[in-house]
Amino acid sequence: MTLVFQSLRKVYGEVVAIDDVSTAFAPGMIHGVIGPNGAGKSTLINMTAGSYTVSSGSITLDGKRLDKLKKYQIANSGIARTYQNIRLFDQMTAIENLEVCFYPAEVAAAWREVIWPPYANAQRRRRREKCMEILRVFDLQGYADVDARGLPYGRQRMLEIARALVANPRVLLLDEPAAGLNHHETAELTAKLTALRSPDRIMIVVEHDMDLVMTLCDSIIVMHHGKLLFRGTPAEVQASTDVQLAYLGTANDIDDIRAAAQNRRAQLGIRTRRRS
Amino acid sequence: MAAVDTLATARPRANRTISWLVLAIAIALIVATPFLPNYHVRVLNSLLIYILLGIGLNIVIGYTGLLDLGFVAFYAVGAYSYGLLASPQLGLHMPFLVILLVAACLGAVTGILLGIPVLRLRGDYLAIVTLGFGEIIRIIINNLDWLTGGPQGIARLDKASILGIQIARPIDFFWLLLITVLLVGTVVWRLERSILGKAWAAIREDQDAARGIGINTTNAKLAAFATSATIGSIAGAIFAASQRFVSPESFTLQESVLIVLMIVVGGIGNIFGIVAGAAILILLPELLREFAEWRILFLGLLMISLIIVRPAGIVPRSFGPEKLIRGLFGK
Repeated sequence: MTLVFQSLRKVYGEVVAIDDVSTAFAPGMIHGVIGPNGAGKSTLINMTAGSYTVSSGSITLDGKRLDKLKKYQIANSGIARTYQNIRLFDQMTAIENLEVCFYPAEVAAAWREVIWPPYANAQRRRRREKCMEILRVFDLQGYADVDARGLPYGRQRMLEIARALVANPRVLLLDEPAAGLNHHETAELTAKLTALRSPDRIMIVVEHDMDLVMTLCDSIIVMHHGKLLFRGTPAEVQASTDVQLAYLGTANDIDDIRAAAQNRRAQLGIRTRRRS
Repeated sequence: MAAVDTLATARPRANRTISWLVLAIAIALIVATPFLPNYHVRVLNSLLIYILLGIGLNIVIGYTGLLDLGFVAFYAVGAYSYGLLASPQLGLHMPFLVILLVAACLGAVTGILLGIPVLRLRGDYLAIVTLGFGEIIRIIINNLDWLTGGPQGIARLDKASILGIQIARPIDFFWLLLITVLLVGTVVWRLERSILGKAWAAIREDQDAARGIGINTTNAKLAAFATSATIGSIAGAIFAASQRFVSPESFTLQESVLIVLMIVVGGIGNIFGIVAGAAILILLPELLREFAEWRILFLGLLMISLIIVRPAGIVPRSFGPEKLIRGLFGK
């Protein structure tokens, strides 16, 4: 029961964003994805969730091919995600943001909700209760009926994770969940995410906050220039000279890496375009 | 009006007062209508038709967030359904209720036919394409002389009757329209509160994130287009039956724009907002009739000030049917 990338590639014109990445993610673990800006971390997430198409290679979950599916089908196959820039349904209340996730399971009976009020009331109550439970996990119950855009930034981040959990996903993809959070909120996030670890859930976290990654993750993959540079436990990653050179770096190395990167860009003749 | 906003949302007692006031005005108006002269009843009928159209278009614009400027096409489909199936034009004289059903189905089909090609479009692009669609339908009707009578339209439509009761006087149509508005309004309100309505809102807020939580946006949007078009078409059929005459003139771009304006002025996404918007944009021109050309100027000034004072519409989004019921029956 694993998520498998097989010779995964993503190419934009001449730019290779993801270059032949093959790896597997086991359930019950939190997998960290780290690497310098532009290394392809978010691209991996976006391809897995179906936001980007896959140029070649494959993504499978338990042997089921995901990369040929539409985005909503991928979501319904048990993949949930959060976004680097928070993407909530702004003008819906916090609880509505979660309730709408019942759509795939319940839309077929929507007509019954229209013609039969008792059924509709029962459905609404049930949905609300379930979503309230999830909100409580994230200490958001006080915000249930507040528009999502009215929540403080840190709460919005939490709400987005809560939304991703409603469908009880097999794979949870978190794209920089700690971005913009203060120390206190980051600590809270670490605690919540640790609690989300479950034997049949695959969690993948892209993150720049090294403290968070090192405390949270069981296994880390290091991306560099679209390639998978290293894979190991947090201790192994910290000990690896390859990783240090490419990413964690010492002051002297950084110049070398920059020069190498510039060379490479010149070779490919690309205009540097911001990619997330 | 700002007071209504804060009062209705903040204090249940104020909400109670406002709710009873709204109900009292509505009942008074309904009870008084049979005693009004025919001309006034006709104005109210046209108000009700526009409310019906507003409720339909609001599904696409207000709930799903797609700017549709060709809504009048579905209105035309419904009107010509009645025009062709209950007149000497084709020698067909089908019963009113059957035509209503046919019009509803035709409306849904045209709604989906329009929906499919514009699924990928949003915002301005969608507005332009739907605008074109509305014009295409009107021009087809205008030029298909052998079927639609071209610019002359179709005259001498049958008198409508439902289960042997003839619907001919303005007051008959008033009751028919009132019942239709209440029925359609209830169904649409319940739809909005259903899981499908929530999905529409999610698509409006962030289509891509909606896909990300497993919403098949194609289906949800087509459902919105189809429901909206069905309502437009039903309104058209009743309109044709009440006029007993249809011509392409009734289905210009101006009509589409007027319905959009009603929604925007009244309060986007709110059924009560549509009633308020329709009241202003349909009744006011009638009330200002004696000022002749000046009335358009008045109307323009009013709209500008409304948009400055209440950019989100006259009726606050929070004051919907739910709030009214809670205000009336407590908790």
